[in-house]
Amino acid sequence: MAQSATVRSGAPRRRMNPMLSYILRRLVLFIPTVLIMSLLIFFIIQLPPGDYLTSYVAGLKAEGVMVDASVIARLEEQFGLDKPWYVQYLSWMWNIFTKFDFGYSFDLGKSVWPIIADKLPMTLFVSLIIMLFQYLVSIPLGIYSAVKQYSVGDYALTALGFLGMAVPNFLFAIILMYLTFIWTGTAWIGLFTKEMLQTGIHWNNLGEFLKRLLIPVLVIGTSGLCGTMRSMRAQMLDEQGRQYVLCARAKGVSERTIIWKYCLRAAINPTVSGLSGSLASIFSGSTISAIVMNLEIIGPTLYEALKAQDMYLAGTILLVMGVLIVVGTLLSDILLAWLDPRIRFSERSE
Amino acid sequence: MPNPIVDVRDLCVNIKLDEGLLTPVRGVSFQIYPGQTLGLVGESGCGKSLTSKAILAINEKKCHTTGQILFENKDGQVVDINRLDPKGREIRDIRGKQISMIFQEPMVAFSPMYTIGNQINECTRLHITRDKKESRRITLEMMKKVGIANAEKRYDQYPHEFSGGMLQRALIAMALVCKPRLLIADEPTTALDVTIQAQILELMQELQKELNMAILFITHDLGTVAKMCDNVSVMYLGRIVESGTARQIYKNPSHPYTRGLMNSVHKIGTLKQEKLFSIEGTVPLALNLKPGCGFCDRCDQRVAGVCDVAEPSARPVEEGHMAACHALKEATEA
Repeated sequence: MAQSATVRSGAPRRRMNPMLSYILRRLVLFIPTVLIMSLLIFFIIQLPPGDYLTSYVAGLKAEGVMVDASVIARLEEQFGLDKPWYVQYLSWMWNIFTKFDFGYSFDLGKSVWPIIADKLPMTLFVSLIIMLFQYLVSIPLGIYSAVKQYSVGDYALTALGFLGMAVPNFLFAIILMYLTFIWTGTAWIGLFTKEMLQTGIHWNNLGEFLKRLLIPVLVIGTSGLCGTMRSMRAQMLDEQGRQYVLCARAKGVSERTIIWKYCLRAAINPTVSGLSGSLASIFSGSTISAIVMNLEIIGPTLYEALKAQDMYLAGTILLVMGVLIVVGTLLSDILLAWLDPRIRFSERSE
Repeated sequence: MPNPIVDVRDLCVNIKLDEGLLTPVRGVSFQIYPGQTLGLVGESGCGKSLTSKAILAINEKKCHTTGQILFENKDGQVVDINRLDPKGREIRDIRGKQISMIFQEPMVAFSPMYTIGNQINECTRLHITRDKKESRRITLEMMKKVGIANAEKRYDQYPHEFSGGMLQRALIAMALVCKPRLLIADEPTTALDVTIQAQILELMQELQKELNMAILFITHDLGTVAKMCDNVSVMYLGRIVESGTARQIYKNPSHPYTRGLMNSVHKIGTLKQEKLFSIEGTVPLALNLKPGCGFCDRCDQRVAGVCDVAEPSARPVEEGHMAACHALKEATEA
């Protein structure tokens, strides 16, 4: 509306900075995205037949304990499980917005939020380290592979890349743990030693902590790393054959500038737009590896919660991850718009 | 006569393929003098683009180039461009500054990621001055000179905000901003409307007069050649089959291929029903070539036992006018 008004006026007009208006637009879209996502999460979680109580009661019955139907009915009423799912959803949302209360974990017998708050920082930390590792390694290697196409290094990286993409995470985890045990004599399982759990992380045991971080980072990061490296290589090769590269070369621009100024900026586009996707795959891909390696991150908790139909806990974990991924998408969209002027401007002409 | 700015001698480009040796350029020689325009004419695939790119040493790595490309640089020294390291300092100092090129398709010659000003200015900053204000001033001046209105505003716009004609002007500005001694124009107007074509060509001529630069004008459009060029070389299958002044070529086209090209130009006044003349067949692929004249299969004057046996050498037609055809002697004597 405002757009058409300014166009009609015809006078020299001051438009909003395209970058700024783009970011604002994306921020506005953020809210409905998260709301729709929460609805979907809740809907899907309650889809399987039964709820926590039915599976709990079934478990008790299997052990020979008889539970009175009136007790079950009372519990159902207490937790609101007798109401239709959308009523449950609305009250869940209402409590989140008014009291920052994400519900109650039936399985663990406490509020959901402290459980998540306990695991979230470490999860985020590990995920960010993994992402950094992925991109800092894969982008330069992909560029190298493309610039030195069909060299020995390129072939070696190609072989490693396919291997890394093909080996399942949990298998890689087991192999690495086995190797570290053979080589060092201690199993690097979990992120913390007993001592760390008691005293917390400080300067003296930081080295040990980082050492233990190495396996999870390698295990969870490798498949994404190899994928990104392959796509970087393909994109760089594609860009190097473009006419504007020839044109830049004809201007006397050095090969280095051609690669870093021209090719990379265009080639990195799909990698940046895949940023949130790789965050999502770190979250989901880390679950099994985390169980195998006994990591103190949120994946295993989610797994247990889903198994036990602990709906509020599972729902909240999924919601938090979802929000993080949407934030990641927002950041990657902003980064993309900064990289590629066409994205900035196409928004405006819509 | 002054020394030629560029003297190409026996230039060959080979590409090794699994199927055999591809020879798209087979012994091309020509000279271009200051202030003059040489038209390199031929159908697509005849090797004219590879020849022009060889002068800048920007052909792909797989293109093996032999022969000499003697270039007289601004200090009066003659360097063989084919001997220089294609990634080295020396050639980069020639590219863009002393020899520059206008590419066929302006739409893809600019990176979409940077402003037009940035990309033209890159040339200025590389070759003229590192001073930001001064280089911007020089760039803007050239943008205005090629007829980009509102240059200050256009400077900060991206390629997708430009029309095709404006982009071609920007491309010309980029090629000329360092006032090169030789300009290579590779079909600079094929992507443009006819009205804009004429404007661009006039612009190039004006700037040529002003800078006294030599132009290598590559085209398949004989109409443009007549307007632009002093000398013409007609290329077919990687060889120059006829060369001379534009006047000689138009008055007395002596190679059957050149005559074919002339006849296929659409003339105003011909009847609508009359079919446009075309040369039968297509340019063969320059792969594992047979002996004999390259044009033999498409030529209506071929002599069996002569034309398909040996490649004709260049024969003089008149002063400064050469053609490579076996039938030539008889034709001129008759």
